[in-house]
Amino acid sequence: MLLFLQSLLNGILLGGIYAAYSAGFSLIFGVMGVINIFHGEMVMLGAFITYWIFILFHIDPFLTIPFSIISLFIFGYLIQRFVINRVIEAPPMISYILTFGIHLIIAYTALWIWTADFRTVTTSYSGFNANISGIIIPYARLATFGLAIIVVAGLYILLYKSDVGRAIQATAQDKEVARLMGVNVKQIYAITFGIGAAITAIAGSLISTYFIIFPQMGLSYTIMAFCVVVLGGMGYIPGALWGGLILGVVQSLTATYINAGLSGAITFILLFVMLVVRPSGIVGKGIVG
Amino acid sequence: MQKLCLGVMIACLVIFLASGISLAQQKFRIGYADPLTGTFGRDGNLVRDAYNFWGDLVNAKGGIEVKGKKYPVELIVIDDKSIAAENAKFTEKLITEDKVDLILGGFGSDSVFAGSAVAEKYKYPLISGAASSNKLFERGFRYYFSTLGKATEEVRGCVDIVQILSPKPKSGAIIGSDILFTALACEGYKKYAAQNGIEIIHSELFPITLQDYNSMLLKVKQKNPDILFVGSHLMVAMKTIKAMKEIDFSPKMVTFSYGPTVPDFVKSLVKDAEYVVAASEWAPNLPYKDPLFGTARQFNENYFKKYQRYPDYVEAASAAGAYAMQVAIEKLGITPPVKEEDRVRLMEELHKQNLMTFYGVVKFGPDGANEAHPPVAVQIQNGKLLNVFPREAAEAAPWYPMKPWKER
Repeated sequence: MLLFLQSLLNGILLGGIYAAYSAGFSLIFGVMGVINIFHGEMVMLGAFITYWIFILFHIDPFLTIPFSIISLFIFGYLIQRFVINRVIEAPPMISYILTFGIHLIIAYTALWIWTADFRTVTTSYSGFNANISGIIIPYARLATFGLAIIVVAGLYILLYKSDVGRAIQATAQDKEVARLMGVNVKQIYAITFGIGAAITAIAGSLISTYFIIFPQMGLSYTIMAFCVVVLGGMGYIPGALWGGLILGVVQSLTATYINAGLSGAITFILLFVMLVVRPSGIVGKGIVG
Repeated sequence: MQKLCLGVMIACLVIFLASGISLAQQKFRIGYADPLTGTFGRDGNLVRDAYNFWGDLVNAKGGIEVKGKKYPVELIVIDDKSIAAENAKFTEKLITEDKVDLILGGFGSDSVFAGSAVAEKYKYPLISGAASSNKLFERGFRYYFSTLGKATEEVRGCVDIVQILSPKPKSGAIIGSDILFTALACEGYKKYAAQNGIEIIHSELFPITLQDYNSMLLKVKQKNPDILFVGSHLMVAMKTIKAMKEIDFSPKMVTFSYGPTVPDFVKSLVKDAEYVVAASEWAPNLPYKDPLFGTARQFNENYFKKYQRYPDYVEAASAAGAYAMQVAIEKLGITPPVKEEDRVRLMEELHKQNLMTFYGVVKFGPDGANEAHPPVAVQIQNGKLLNVFPREAAEAAPWYPMKPWKER
């Protein structure tokens, strides 16, 4: 029983990590319909910002999060404003190719600057955990889970309670009508991309404390974010949390009770079934389907 | 008169160009396909550093000396992006398009497995210092050589070390990533654990792309093995340590087939790297030497001077492989451009070679594996990799049992 509870908890915390780095992917897809292939590179950049600030200035990884947020917001805003906006009206294939190209540029530039070294942030408290009646709770993952909930809740509030949020929603629902209502659509796209990049950077910063980071880590994160968003409902922000939790728990229980080798296969079976049977996601609120 | 002048000028030009071509060929062009990016990017860069170290040293002395004349070496590397099929493709490109004189091996059994098949086809001897899966040696190839032993034997020191531990561990668990080298390392763990009376209570292979190790290690922890044997590369080794600490899993010992000897391991994990035991085929305190690199310790120190870090054993093995090829060339009197009959002679010479190097004796068996290598186990103690087994070559006694995470 203890093993089951521990595995379940691991899965929930893993799901929190997945949700944390997938929420931005869902937001960008939901508003602009762009499947951002370089999403994983934004996770990587967030992680490397934390890593270098920690290494060079010995600043605690959690305190580096504001730097990651600001840097990636600016990065996301500029790249949307001056690059992706140019092809946003073109067929979706063009934006896939463009974001794939940006993925290659970022990954290989990072490789050139930072080399292929594997890195991780090891603090004096790295790996610390709480032991509650035999159940181990790693603090860093718990913090990520908490932040994932805060990010999703914050995004929800932003979208429904602020003017910018309402403009983003209006743009997502019908950009032509939004334009007629005086919304600067391209500006909203840039802000949305900036927000998506910023919340992805938070996840990247936290991931650097318990995962191994390297310049070419991005693509696997993009693929996983895609799975999470499909499971939770494409374009439905709270769906990232649902998708992350389902994926995390299924993978954890598979690794514990069947074989770790099967967790990847089961992930893609889930993705396949969901796309065929319920393309609007587990709670049926995705914009596709 | 004008025609005569023109003729003389053309003749001069032809002579000049011909001499230019001739001069351009007065060096050994040595190519290799190696993973400089992707999953094994870090490891592949180590191999490149090792070959550059050898190449620079040789060129600093004027080049490879053949019959009193010196021929510099030019190293040409192509990134295979950690994809085995690409390694084969680029090895073929190096041979057929770039027309290199000689070929060396890159990092990783999967890549070298593919690349060496191409080298065999074109009769290019290929010496690798960073690939050791048994399957590499079971193909009946004559042109493939490895300065490492076989993967299953490479981990012998990591298991035989139990002979000097007190109290002797009784049980073990084996996990490893499901790729050629690490899966075979796990086979080696099983074989030597049986020989040492260690009961294996858990064994599992997982995909190298597995992102989260916590849940997998959780069930291993539940079984409470005395030793955790890990079939690993650098990233797997780092992820394992991170996960072990997170789930508070403290067996009496943890060993890795590869990874902890790469400097990044200690640099990144700092104190969490302490107590870790790793397989190695070389250590700088071993009493080996050769005329090019000097002693094992001199190689170690000079490497540090060049790269500001100490070499991993795979780098030592790679440099020794290049040196073995150099010695054979010098002995046979082969000069560039190297022809097919020269490469056949080179292959035959390598099979006969019994060469003392800073890395130890290089003596290739009929299957190409280095038959003369000791099973070394190293342990990270106070941030340093120390040779702890076999006892006669040990720099320090092994720290055992591993201190639980909570008490560190």
